[in-house]
Amino acid sequence: MLRISAALVAALLLALTGSAPAPTAAQERPLVVALGAEPRNLMAMRTVDWTTNVQQMNIYDRLYFWDGMPPRIKPSLAAELPQTPDDLTWIIKLRPGVKFHNGDAFTSEAVKWTIEWLLDPKNESHYRPRFAFVESVETPDPLTVRIRTKEPAPILRYWLVDFTVQNPNYVRQVGNDVAARQPIGAGPYRFVRWDRDERLVLEANPNYWNKPPAIKRVEFRFIPDFSARLASLLAGESDIVKDIPPVAVEQVNRSGRAEVRGVASSRINYLALVNFKPGPLQDRRVRQAMNYAINVDEIVSNLFKGRATRTPGALSSINENVNPNLKPYPYDPERAVQLIKEAGYDPTKLEFTLDSPSGRYPLDKEASEAIAAYLGRIGIRVRVVVNEWGTHLDKIINRRTGEMFYLGWGPALEAQGTIAELFRPERTYSGFGTPNLTLEINKALPIVDAKKRQAAWHRIQVMLYTEAPWVFLWQQHDLYGVNKRVTWHPHPAEKVYLHDATWAKR
Amino acid sequence: MRAGRRLPLNRSGAFGLVLVAVVAGAALLAPLLSPYGPVDSNLVRSLEPPSAEHWMGTDQLGRDMFTRILYGARVSLAIGLITVGVSGAIGLVVGIVAGYLGGITDIVTMRIVDVWLSFPFILLALTVSAILGIGLQNIILTLIITGWVVYARLVRGEVLALKALDYVEAARALGAHENRIIFRHLLPNLWTPIIILSSLQVAQFIVAEAAISFLGFGVQPPMASWGNMLNEGKTYIYNAWWMTTFPGLALVLTALGVNLVGDWLRDTLDPRLKF
Amino acid sequence: MVQFVARRLLEAAVVVLLALTAVFSLQFLAGDPVKLFLPTDTTPKQIEEFRERLGFNDPWLVQYGRFMRGAIRGDFGNSLRQGEPALGLVMQRLPATLSLSAVAMALALGVAIPVGVISAARRNSWFDHAGIGATVLGQAIPGFWLGLMLIYVFAVWLNVLPTGGRGTWAHFILPSITLSAFVAARFARLTRSMMLDVLSQDYIRTARAKGLGPPRVLYKHALKNASLPIVTLLALQLGQLLGGAVITETIFAWPGVGRFLVQALLNRDFPVVLVGVFLTAVVYSGLNLAADMAYAWLNPRIRYQ
Repeated sequence: MLRISAALVAALLLALTGSAPAPTAAQERPLVVALGAEPRNLMAMRTVDWTTNVQQMNIYDRLYFWDGMPPRIKPSLAAELPQTPDDLTWIIKLRPGVKFHNGDAFTSEAVKWTIEWLLDPKNESHYRPRFAFVESVETPDPLTVRIRTKEPAPILRYWLVDFTVQNPNYVRQVGNDVAARQPIGAGPYRFVRWDRDERLVLEANPNYWNKPPAIKRVEFRFIPDFSARLASLLAGESDIVKDIPPVAVEQVNRSGRAEVRGVASSRINYLALVNFKPGPLQDRRVRQAMNYAINVDEIVSNLFKGRATRTPGALSSINENVNPNLKPYPYDPERAVQLIKEAGYDPTKLEFTLDSPSGRYPLDKEASEAIAAYLGRIGIRVRVVVNEWGTHLDKIINRRTGEMFYLGWGPALEAQGTIAELFRPERTYSGFGTPNLTLEINKALPIVDAKKRQAAWHRIQVMLYTEAPWVFLWQQHDLYGVNKRVTWHPHPAEKVYLHDATWAKR
Repeated sequence: MRAGRRLPLNRSGAFGLVLVAVVAGAALLAPLLSPYGPVDSNLVRSLEPPSAEHWMGTDQLGRDMFTRILYGARVSLAIGLITVGVSGAIGLVVGIVAGYLGGITDIVTMRIVDVWLSFPFILLALTVSAILGIGLQNIILTLIITGWVVYARLVRGEVLALKALDYVEAARALGAHENRIIFRHLLPNLWTPIIILSSLQVAQFIVAEAAISFLGFGVQPPMASWGNMLNEGKTYIYNAWWMTTFPGLALVLTALGVNLVGDWLRDTLDPRLKF
Repeated sequence: MVQFVARRLLEAAVVVLLALTAVFSLQFLAGDPVKLFLPTDTTPKQIEEFRERLGFNDPWLVQYGRFMRGAIRGDFGNSLRQGEPALGLVMQRLPATLSLSAVAMALALGVAIPVGVISAARRNSWFDHAGIGATVLGQAIPGFWLGLMLIYVFAVWLNVLPTGGRGTWAHFILPSITLSAFVAARFARLTRSMMLDVLSQDYIRTARAKGLGPPRVLYKHALKNASLPIVTLLALQLGQLLGGAVITETIFAWPGVGRFLVQALLNRDFPVVLVGVFLTAVVYSGLNLAADMAYAWLNPRIRYQ
């Protein structure tokens, strides 16, 4: 029996290992990025999903991208920033001499195709609503795209950022399904292999318009459990792992194999104070009191170990439209109690329910519990309900949350995507609205002139500050664990561009 | 198990009883054994290693791990006992009905039981709790929904065997009322296998709750449950070993204790049973 | 025999059908999955369009009929998350799960049977006591905790084995230990008690009296007779292994069905969940049938009824 089982084990192992590709010594070890899930598909401009887009971006490249600190829009596949000769016309000049991985030329035709593709309902693109205002796309010459809109749409400037471009010949030839599994783009890396739930293998595109990537082979590996991703970083199996918890930073740095590189992300975390239903939170003074009652700085320094940047208002410090004149509400529990009493309530009789996600944002559940504890100190009873992510979204969308909910929002590098989405009651994720605020936001949306637009957003941010629709919390820091053999810097818009990565000099 | 009958105690059975007694004591006396509350957080003292003040260290919110483990024992034992009690009762009724009535009732019931048993227990429990959502009531409901079938099958089998015994057949032939047969002849003989099965099920349910909570479907935080604590602790496994080690040990020792008691009960009461 | 198998197959089909119906109905109790897969700036109108196209707005019965018609043809619909046929996505992951389960089962048997036999043969020796201790512990340690600890010690601290994923034979070691611990403990205990039973029988004493050496008595006569319940348990435990794979695969990033199902449950990707339910029910029913047949084959006294 012993011998039989031993033989069985041996045979099985042989059969199994035979199927797996053994890395040869001659081959350079790939750069390994560990992610929580495989991409939903590899079709450009089809799906909005962080994990999916991070991988696609390295294959397809994009028209524009956020670059530098503070981030500004820079052209990539485009040659220069878009021109707007009038409020309804956008002209994009493309970079000459760019080729897709299969040798096809990258032209204005490809951009036109991609926009029309995503507008076609049968392709089920998530981007369709974002481009709903497009009237027509024209290609006066191979390097010029002219987009006409039905109404003034200043937001288009931002929707062209991270716009990935399909190869029309290829998609026409093989169809959506194949193109979504074996993509052909114009980006720094080309597709090699996708082993389901295991890895996506890419290799450097030697003909990339910008200098070819320094690292020749990269792998995205799919590890669903966070502690397993951390383990793979500490064991030196993975080179880049996102979302290291602040308290584990020192541990990673001490491991000798990897170190943590952080960047203040454009993603903000906030505690929404819902004013849709009758109750104390419909009173502005009570909402302001919440801001006074919570010691945000102490949460940032003790729970986050300083790895978060406090935001005084609704936008992060690196947002293009942020109003730099706002100062955070100070921690002043007495003032909080006073404001609540002025509003006609007794803080010790107040009871709220706080809905929190769990593990979606850095220390989200922990922060919610800490917030509840601070409110508890002035007598307010807060019941924290921790939701699994699907349930949490469902509650917000269907307005079934408690009086408060915790959420993160981003990447948010301009105002509209945050303010117009979250402070008008009819929007899906909104938790707050007043008629006056809606009016002001609607007035700001069509302003094309950059200066006037900026002024309008600044004014609205002051209104928001006084209205206190949220307890303004912080912009999260994205903490990446990076193997020491790699030189790579994280990006504030949560992108993992591997084009800039190099092997560290020893 | 009639009163007055002595159960010979062996070494492993005694050890199991001691473990179970310790866990039960921890659960009952939690507020007396610790000066802290299970959800009292203190951010300034988060993630401290074990010390005289915090015997098992503190977690990421500065809550005392020892306290949370004591209160976790409450959750685990409550879940184990409630689910075993309710699912046992359901299984008992279903099993008696199916076994005693036989015929089409039996066939239909046993097909339903087969559907249930055609899933690995943990996968079924996960599916149900993913649908019901997280929370203490839901996890209890989940475990009841998934747990009763084992009892139903066991009881049915025992009833079929008992029915074939001479004295039961004789009672029926004499025209005894069905209630009388069930309560006088069947039930007393069912207690032993049910008690033995229950003692083993308790451990399984406690571990299942932990596993489900561990995967993020289980008990509502901040409630202290060992599975929850392990789920939170695994993020910190590389810089706060105490957050995964102690709840894990608590779970292992409890399961061990309950299993040993179960083994001992089986070996002494009814050695022919094989679970 | 043929009649017996045919009846069992029919029963299995009913079981699978009932299981699918149950889970299909239950999914309506869970929240709406559609919004989970759409970006945050999707307008309510577009969400409604999306629901309409997926047929989510039809009455329950219409949806059920459509699902069953498709399922009979092997079409379980597309994964909500990935937009590809759900059946294909799950099938792609089946080999990984089967290979891990097979290795774990081989490991469990390879360890448990010798331990059980030797423990029984040397009853009350130190080996026996250590063996019992190990099996009791093996049954009490939850797989997920064991997995975490193994990763911590062998992959991160000692850094001698990979933390997870698939690739070389070394990748099998930790997950298969994690997966087999519980099963091995059960097998060892069962083997031991069966062997003790058998060793006390007359014919073994006779064989010994005839002067047959202990190994021959143990392996040739005793183990053969003790193997009956072991084989039955084997089939049933293989099913439990597939269940255990849910947790083991998640912890070790093993690209199998179990991990995929956990993610699908978290994402509410119900077409995938239903395929998982279907496959598990089929595999489980098959294993149960196999167990019954093996039992009958090994023990000719049992009649098919």
